[in-house]
Amino acid sequence: MATKDRLSFSSRFGSIDLTDAETRDGILFALPYLALFSVFLLYPLVKGFYMSLFDWNAFAPAQSEFILFENYARMLSDPAFWKSVRATVVFVVLTVPTLVVLGLALALGVNRDVKGKRILRTVFFSPYVLTVSVVSLIWAELYAPQYGAINYYVGFVIQNPPSWLNSFTWAMPAIAIATIWWTVGFNFVILLAARQSVPERLYEAAKIDGASSWRAFKDITVPQMRSAIVFVTTVQFIWSFQVFGQAYIMTNGGPGESTQTLVMYLFRMAFNEGQFGYAAAVGYFLFFVLVAVSLGNYYFVSGGDTA
Amino acid sequence: MSTVGSRLLSERVRSVGVYAALYGAAALFLVPYAYMVSTSLTPEQFTFSNKPYWIPPEITFRWYDAVLAGAPIVQWGFNTFVIAATTTVLVVLLDSMIAFSLTKLDWPGKRIVFTIIVASFMVPVFANMVPLYTIITDFGLINNPLAVILPFSAMPIGVFLFTQFFDDLPDSVIEAAKLDGFSTFQIYYKIVLPLMKPAIAALSLYTFVYTWNQFLWPLIVLQGQQQFTLPVGIVTMQPTQVFQPGAEMAGTFLAVLPLFVVFLILQEHLVNAVQMQGTTG
Repeated sequence: MATKDRLSFSSRFGSIDLTDAETRDGILFALPYLALFSVFLLYPLVKGFYMSLFDWNAFAPAQSEFILFENYARMLSDPAFWKSVRATVVFVVLTVPTLVVLGLALALGVNRDVKGKRILRTVFFSPYVLTVSVVSLIWAELYAPQYGAINYYVGFVIQNPPSWLNSFTWAMPAIAIATIWWTVGFNFVILLAARQSVPERLYEAAKIDGASSWRAFKDITVPQMRSAIVFVTTVQFIWSFQVFGQAYIMTNGGPGESTQTLVMYLFRMAFNEGQFGYAAAVGYFLFFVLVAVSLGNYYFVSGGDTA
Repeated sequence: MSTVGSRLLSERVRSVGVYAALYGAAALFLVPYAYMVSTSLTPEQFTFSNKPYWIPPEITFRWYDAVLAGAPIVQWGFNTFVIAATTTVLVVLLDSMIAFSLTKLDWPGKRIVFTIIVASFMVPVFANMVPLYTIITDFGLINNPLAVILPFSAMPIGVFLFTQFFDDLPDSVIEAAKLDGFSTFQIYYKIVLPLMKPAIAALSLYTFVYTWNQFLWPLIVLQGQQQFTLPVGIVTMQPTQVFQPGAEMAGTFLAVLPLFVVFLILQEHLVNAVQMQGTTG
């Protein structure tokens, strides 16, 4: 496109023509980011796979023993690993559908002709700007068995309210509720934008045809917002699958190992046990799961679209 | 007649229901904030009572004094700010440069480069943390703010968002600038950057908040108490205060405050940044 005007670029190397100047500038502008990207994202990805094939010696990497896929075999036969997978899946199941449905409900509600839209949006979105530590510390107080606010009110309804974070049954749901409060705002604002870009005339036409609001929801709202809903679901899945901070701070994986998630297991194997090669293998497992989800989602979206 | 009447009535009932649901949900959403603030101001003798005090019977600032005296929370705030601000500047600068290059300049191999960057979206941050830790160690960056700044500046999301925006910038604007004798660099900083102010504002705020809030990675690479960020620091504070909810909530409130004020002032930009992800992703 730019090859036509040779005059506009003055090259320091005199005889170099414009195409080369543009190539040079193009690469110069791309290079700083590419340097960081290569060193801190691509290289670790390759090195992680390499490390996963060794009994990695953190103090003397050169003395690491090559063991091929033994780390992976060990991972697949470790009950603690499967326990962490199970805890992670439970968390995903508890959070992802709720986050999407609640986000959609709030978005559709705020999109209606209600007073105080901006205040409502601020309130629902605001927890998203908090750090996980703050969220976890506040909710741990709310859940406290003796003096926590939640059990004061729950105590009116049932005799002996559970001590949430110390309970095998309730620890994970309690963490899930805190997480929903924390991140539903992300889905809410994305779905709100998606809802606002649905043409209003579709609803007017449906009204004239006498369609019920349920029909309008099913036949207009959902199909029109489909790509946003799929996007939000995928992103939530990827985030929930990597849950760490809430569980680490609120329960430290307990009671037992019932809230020890996959990333927490990986963290402990690496930084408490010093088993870097093994932890790298667990990291690769995580990587493959999430790539499979992203790709599956990609084909789902591109395969279903008429466009 | 009666059907119209009942329809109006049912619409009225429904709108009352919507108000009740929305404002009820909003009230519930505010409960954790209220609990944090009131606990941080409540004197010790009321803290452990069964009945929660939403408005403290007496107000004390001693928990704030205790936290400010007992933990380097100001230092942590400063560390967090340095890390978040440096990362934001790097992300906006480097990502806009490469996005400009990928959308408006022509050079061999740029398709492949773009494909690799987009594909790298799928790399989960935490899957990379073990090899990344060894690389940071090799560079001698443990306990150095750069250990957080550099990896977070390498994240591809900004590149992706900027390329979406730069694509919409008409090529004719660039062509006209070239005819006026602008160099590539002049086109970038005199034309492209000023036109992209809204995108830059959105991405800046998003990157700042995102980096400020990171927990796991700073926990791994910043190991000295003086190097902690706020999210890491307030958690380590927990055992040292002999379990005093008041002190804990005071620390939490101090950690929330700066970013929350920024959010309330600039929330439009942050909402835009999140919504951009949904529409372009």
